[in-house]
Amino acid sequence: MEITKAAPGTYPDGPEAKGRFNGPKWKRFKTNLPLLLMFTPVILFYLIFRYAPIGGLIIAFKDYNFYDGIFNSPWVGFHYFEVLFQDPRTLEIIRNTLMLSLLSLAVGFPIPIILAIMLNEVRSMTFKRTVQTIVYMPHFLSWVIIAMLVSTAFAMENGLVNRIVEQITGDVYPFMYEKFSWVSIFVGSGIWKDMGFNAIIFLAALSAIDPSLYEAAAMDGGGKMRQIWHITLPGIRPTIILLLILSMGRVMEVGFDQVFMLQNANVNQIADVISTYIYRIGLQGAQFSLTTAMGLFESLVAFILVFTANTIARKFDQGLW
Amino acid sequence: MRDSRSEKLFYLMNYVLLTIIALSCITPLLNVIALSLSGADAVASGRVTLWPVEFSLSSFNSLFTGTPIMRSFWNSVQITVIGTALSMLVTVLAAYPLSRKQFYSRRFFTLAMVFTMIFNGGLIPSYLVVQNLGLVNSYAALWLPGLVSTYNMLLMRSAFEQLPGEVDEAAKIDGCGETGILLRIVLPLSKPMLATLALFYGVGYWNAFMSVMIYINDTAKYNMTVLVQNMIKSTSMIQDFADPTMLATMTPEGIRSAAVIVMIVPILAVYPLLQKYFVKGVMLGSIKG
Repeated sequence: MEITKAAPGTYPDGPEAKGRFNGPKWKRFKTNLPLLLMFTPVILFYLIFRYAPIGGLIIAFKDYNFYDGIFNSPWVGFHYFEVLFQDPRTLEIIRNTLMLSLLSLAVGFPIPIILAIMLNEVRSMTFKRTVQTIVYMPHFLSWVIIAMLVSTAFAMENGLVNRIVEQITGDVYPFMYEKFSWVSIFVGSGIWKDMGFNAIIFLAALSAIDPSLYEAAAMDGGGKMRQIWHITLPGIRPTIILLLILSMGRVMEVGFDQVFMLQNANVNQIADVISTYIYRIGLQGAQFSLTTAMGLFESLVAFILVFTANTIARKFDQGLW
Repeated sequence: MRDSRSEKLFYLMNYVLLTIIALSCITPLLNVIALSLSGADAVASGRVTLWPVEFSLSSFNSLFTGTPIMRSFWNSVQITVIGTALSMLVTVLAAYPLSRKQFYSRRFFTLAMVFTMIFNGGLIPSYLVVQNLGLVNSYAALWLPGLVSTYNMLLMRSAFEQLPGEVDEAAKIDGCGETGILLRIVLPLSKPMLATLALFYGVGYWNAFMSVMIYINDTAKYNMTVLVQNMIKSTSMIQDFADPTMLATMTPEGIRSAAVIVMIVPILAVYPLLQKYFVKGVMLGSIKG
């Protein structure tokens, strides 16, 4: 606006005004200005709360103390990584993390796919919608609630499950305190919470399959199971691969809330994972450098896993990038 | 279309299995509802299954009068409402410019954001950032570090990109600036996606647990998840709050169940309204990838 004032008598958009502040570049800048203004808080957010913590990872190589701060604390190189990988306790924690998440992935990944296929085969819309409404819901409940539901159901005294077990075997079983049953409950509760919600994305993929393929298969005498195997599953393969890559990135993280709420002293040997370790030793025990080293290890492994999964998927033309 | 016998069997099995799955999802909830509405004796003797026995509101009564649940309820409401509003605002501010083709370096910005999805600083460095900003023990520590979920932002961006281009061409001719296009055209046309993401953010803030435990030291500022978790972990805490005359008419199970009901009700209240939206929202995300 100031430019037009500075040059009275000329038409700002007329041919004479063509100069530094006209032309396509200036026009692009003018339309970009409001967009850049909008985007400024976003840039600040990502710099402060996403990239600054990545920079803060350097304290894994330092002996961080509150007095000297991030920049002035002395360097210690790979000292904390050596401590981590020589301590049998932390190795056990890494093993627990991998075991719980790989089990959850191996058992939990196919279930939403099966659920979606089952829902897709339902013909009564009312029934389908009712089941959908019910199975999506647990996704929105917090782990506090689910842990409470689980411990109520499996309680030694008066738990619904143990009352049935008692009637059959005559004795109650300490489900929450035995390693094997605890791991089963852990994996099962994760599946219970998210199977419905995770099925939505597969249902979307299923609805895109051409129905004439099924008709043709039925004409040729293909039974339901064969139709599912030869038409349904290949039809949703890209979605399956996509979600498998994404879940590879989460192999190193077992949700803090889930473990924290479900664990108890009897199963700690198997239920202590990286996230609860970082919380307990790092935040409560103020061992910032040691646990940052653990966090960096976790992030790096997750990063490598996603990258590898994507590279493999790209070989089949289904990569994420 | 006529079904063969094997097909009939398939459909029958399918209905039976789905019914079992749905029942498994709803039974634990019915159990907790029944526990919260039963008399103390019935709960203690384990006679409650899926229907209230000796119907009584005493658990709710003890919960509301004997524990600070109402205060934490309002804390949760405050955290959720303000947090969701802030997150939605900044997510729109991120998604809209990135959806505009003429925006400078949109590819660079998108990549820089997506990178944070697969590599992050982790808990301790994030905590140090929040601590250095002096946000510990304020709700800003709950809102700011998780202000934008990159995944949600990508969903919103693809929703904006899928809007027909002619509409904003027309708006530009009518003299609408970028802000005008965003407010008058893009946002009103993207209501399903906005509702979906508001639900996702809202549920995240409502269920916030770890962040509250890490950043909030003042027990008066606790939200419901942390308060209820403390109540579950230590039965003695319930007894500290409740007055002695009340102890005779209550059980820890009853009070916990009542607390769970108080936490679930707001989610159940908005859930049916938003269900059709989040299904659409998730599907939209899946198509674009």
